[in-house]
Amino acid sequence: MITLKNIEKVYQTKTIETVALHNVNLHIPKGEFVSVMGPSGCGKSTLLNIMGLLDEPTNGIVEIDGKPISRYRDNELAHIRNQKIGFVFQSYHLINDLSVLDNVELPLLYRSGTSAAETRHMALTALEKVGLSARTKHYPTQLSGGQRQRVAIARALIGQPEIILADEPTGNLDSVMGEEIMNILLNLNRQDGTTIVMVTHDENMAQKTERLIRFFDGQQVSDAKTNAYDFQQV
Amino acid sequence: MIRHLFKLIWNRKKSNFLLISEIFFCFLVLFAVLSLVVYNVRNYSKPLGFEYDNVWLLTSRADIDSTELRIAVEQQLAQKIRSYGEVEGTALVSSNSPFAFSQMKVWAQVEGGPRILVENIDVEDTFAEVLQLNVSAGRWFTKQDDAARYESVVINRVLQQELFGAESAVGKLITRNDSSQVQIIGVVDHYRGSSEYSEESPVLFTRINQQKVAVFWGEMLIRVKPGTGIAFEERMVKDLSGIAKNWTLELTTVEKMRQTKEKLSLVPMIAMAVVCGFLIFNVALGLFGVLWYNISRRNGEIGLRRALGASANQVYRQFIGEVLVLATFGLVLGVAFAVQFPLLQVFEVESIVYFIALGIAVGLIYLLAIGCAFYPSRQAAAIHPALALHEE
Repeated sequence: MITLKNIEKVYQTKTIETVALHNVNLHIPKGEFVSVMGPSGCGKSTLLNIMGLLDEPTNGIVEIDGKPISRYRDNELAHIRNQKIGFVFQSYHLINDLSVLDNVELPLLYRSGTSAAETRHMALTALEKVGLSARTKHYPTQLSGGQRQRVAIARALIGQPEIILADEPTGNLDSVMGEEIMNILLNLNRQDGTTIVMVTHDENMAQKTERLIRFFDGQQVSDAKTNAYDFQQV
Repeated sequence: MIRHLFKLIWNRKKSNFLLISEIFFCFLVLFAVLSLVVYNVRNYSKPLGFEYDNVWLLTSRADIDSTELRIAVEQQLAQKIRSYGEVEGTALVSSNSPFAFSQMKVWAQVEGGPRILVENIDVEDTFAEVLQLNVSAGRWFTKQDDAARYESVVINRVLQQELFGAESAVGKLITRNDSSQVQIIGVVDHYRGSSEYSEESPVLFTRINQQKVAVFWGEMLIRVKPGTGIAFEERMVKDLSGIAKNWTLELTTVEKMRQTKEKLSLVPMIAMAVVCGFLIFNVALGLFGVLWYNISRRNGEIGLRRALGASANQVYRQFIGEVLVLATFGLVLGVAFAVQFPLLQVFEVESIVYFIALGIAVGLIYLLAIGCAFYPSRQAAAIHPALALHEE
């Protein structure tokens, strides 16, 4: 599904050169639920941005479904993001001036060939999946943190992406809300076979996923199956 | 996407209120200035109805009281002027000659019809020849009018339409100033002697007949041959001064009079255009600043849209689209207000003038909006999605 080969990411200013990722090699097969852990600034979000085609590596190859994307133009990358990838962010990134339903419909705005009625139906289905069908006309500011994150998940789901990239989706939530969100993601992975890569600081959440990759100072330090799976030191 | 943009702008109407108001007021000022410009340009492009090139105007002011004596000297002057090889013709005219500052209004009325205020110009028989008027129906004045039962008059087509509609006017009688009846003997296509920028008003030409009514006119149009220059002018004035001793003689070209009138029409138009230009420039700066600020405030949203599948080009188009929607909100209000002018016939200006001005103003506002949104939208499209999301 997603393959990263010898990925390196260096942020360069006039005076400072910061290595965010160094020699990262990863393969995430279809249907896997992977969590990425590591201290702040270790390159987790950078990794997610590169996987989500929001950022380019300084060196290395990113492959989606076996195809290297380095030669793709901006609109082709946008098309892949729209068709294949769904994003969930720690701070939800909802547009406060749009209703819950309109927020969920956003990804389909950039997909041609979907009628307004179809879009509405898909948005309602996605909201039903996350248990928010009663809040369609509400605005994000009228919702709790957990509800907002569920809207963000519904938005990520609406386009039926093969991959969901979640950047600390429970980071701003209390444990009960966090648990709810985690369950939604687990259900998505188990029932729909959606590939999920989740960045988290929460060891408990990470242990619920199939595979845990740890990063430190921009380098992948471990890559292991959790619980029932074999541990593999990188 | 259009529905989405309208929804977005509508939901942000409070924060967009100032921008919409700015666009609304800018539209109104632009509409006012453009209405004036369109009115003037449309009038300018219409035929004047006469040729003023190579036509001079001699104005004479006598220092004697006797009208008979004045007329006699005036006739000597005309005779002398016509004797020059350079002169093609002369015609006495009342003081409201082409591009003059004076007016002479009378009431004209067909029996049972409305009273119409018309410009009355007294002219000699040679007037049509000197100004090369085109008589499209009937005829111009001739000697045969001396014996006519009613005083003969020639009118312009505008007056014909106001008095008789599509019917022919030739031979019909009209009442002038509620007293005398006059007979229409001809209709000229056009006569717009007031200014090139003014609308054609109803005109009534009456005939100067000094055998019947002895009046000293003091204004004489002179058509000279093409290429006749200042040397001849000086010679003629010198010769005429010898005939009309102690008289004040002024010789000017009708072209100079036209230029003076033109300045009077153009100055207010230019002044308004300059004021409007400054206003639009300020609005443009304001619009640009607000858009720039809005876009920099919406970095997170831009990053999100990019993450959800918007290409840089789609982000660019979205921001341009938003500004166009904003402009549309302002314009809907503006057009609703402006359209009252043609509907209520304000200032008795043709509706088409307002509609043209309205169309141009709408187009210019959209162009202005696109122009102001161009750079900030380009900047928005260039925002790196990962960075924008991170900043948020």
